[in-house]
Amino acid sequence: MENKLRKIFAETLNISEEQVTDGLEYNSIPEWDSISHMALIATLDDEFNIMMETEDVIDLSSFAKAKEILSKYGVQF
Amino acid sequence: MSFWKLNHPKDQAAVIQNGRTYTYGDLNDMVGELKNTIEASDKQLMFILCSNTLPSLALYLASLQGGQTACLLPSNIEGSLFDHLVEVYSPRWICQPSNLRIVEGYEKAHTVLDYEVMQREVKEPSVMHNDLALLLSTSGTTGNPKMVRLSYANLQSNAESIAEYLELTSDERPITTLPMQYSYGLSVINSHLHAGACLVLTETAVTSREFWDQIKEHEVTSIAGVPYIYQMLKRLRFAEMELPSLRTLTQAGGRLDIGLQSYFAELKNSKNMKFYVMYGQTEATARMSYIPPEKLEQKLGSIGVAIPGGRLEIDEEGQLIYRGTNVMMGYAESKSELSAGDVNEGRLETGDLAEQDGDGYFYIVGRMKRFIKLFGLRINLDDVEKLIEKEIGQQAYCVGNDTKMGVYVQDAGLIGQAKDTILSHYHLHPTSFKVEYLEQIPRLETGKIDYKLLQSLGGLE
Repeated sequence: MENKLRKIFAETLNISEEQVTDGLEYNSIPEWDSISHMALIATLDDEFNIMMETEDVIDLSSFAKAKEILSKYGVQF
Repeated sequence: MSFWKLNHPKDQAAVIQNGRTYTYGDLNDMVGELKNTIEASDKQLMFILCSNTLPSLALYLASLQGGQTACLLPSNIEGSLFDHLVEVYSPRWICQPSNLRIVEGYEKAHTVLDYEVMQREVKEPSVMHNDLALLLSTSGTTGNPKMVRLSYANLQSNAESIAEYLELTSDERPITTLPMQYSYGLSVINSHLHAGACLVLTETAVTSREFWDQIKEHEVTSIAGVPYIYQMLKRLRFAEMELPSLRTLTQAGGRLDIGLQSYFAELKNSKNMKFYVMYGQTEATARMSYIPPEKLEQKLGSIGVAIPGGRLEIDEEGQLIYRGTNVMMGYAESKSELSAGDVNEGRLETGDLAEQDGDGYFYIVGRMKRFIKLFGLRINLDDVEKLIEKEIGQQAYCVGNDTKMGVYVQDAGLIGQAKDTILSHYHLHPTSFKVEYLEQIPRLETGKIDYKLLQSLGGLE
């Protein structure tokens, strides 16, 4: 599942999968700005068939955090 | 009285940044000091690499107060484009976040907070027209050095008009959601300074926690947004947020789809907020029309009526024409053109095709040229086609709407190269366009490309 998530990050942010590590943070690279953040949220909602709460959308500020938040919605890593 | 004179009670709040409040007195002192450092015996050009911060704002105001000409550029401007602009316009001063880059031929003259003012070593005589206050780029981050020339009168007239129809008072506290070098973002600043209001300056986006914390902490009263910001607000479940201080939303920078217009129109009633849908162009300083909020439900999809002091009409070709004192002096593409006077005389051909209903409300029905607006940035689709063709050596077909651009090529092997071309020349966000392979390009009976069909094939109506 982590690989699926990594792939979604890489494709939506237009970066390589190697760049997607736990330490990857929002606004730390030009590719992950507010616009691609929303694209990322939309893709995550679709792919995992969920609808994240506002708090989670703005807290999803790193790859590690994404795994933590998605776990809350029943996605298992 | 001009808004840049900051003629408001000295102890009134003007700016909040990082939790600190600066009064109109503080701001004026800072501007006054800067004005002295950029003093020249003649009228000169100042590049400001902008951010939504106090030094950036103060430098802009110092340029206006001192009678110089400011050219506002994004602080993340790409190196080669910046170099090109310096070469074309050879400004006397370049103001940038400290140590951003070293520019050959310039030496550091002054620092203001975390900004530095660099001065040209070899001085050139002024070429500037006396009325020229400001240069804004029409093409955002694209490689074109084309600038809109705005006069002091343009800036003041649009600020006054906006303050009037938005009913701005000194109680307002807008938060910066748009870049300052973008005409819409700048118009928020200008109109609120005119009203003696307090700007909450931030570089954070609606997707960050800090942004919403600031709205609550500083009791922000209004948000300005282009269409994608409204998409974000909806996804962030704006409807469920508790933001009691917020009373006004304004929208411009491209067409907001009807679904979102209705969503926010409905919301304004339940939340007791005003929602303004507006229309404008940098060529008109910023604003040309708006829908009075009480008419929004009846006039969804309209661009409304002309702003106070302006007039809209439709010419024989169906083109929307605007008249008003906020219409730019003209364009400039080189330094020598900065000496030119007003070539428009208050009349602007918008390039949009429009219709008017029985109540006098205007509706955009198309464009004279194939333009789209992505993130407030005007893009000529024919230019994109030509550019890609030059790079890939084969014709490309380009369609789009104000959300996304679609490019079609007839050789799948060229997709990557076409993508790179768009990224490097237009610096578009990767999510705002797609390049796809299409074997058969749809054509009309006349043999012309059927852009309408291509647009629906690409799902880009």
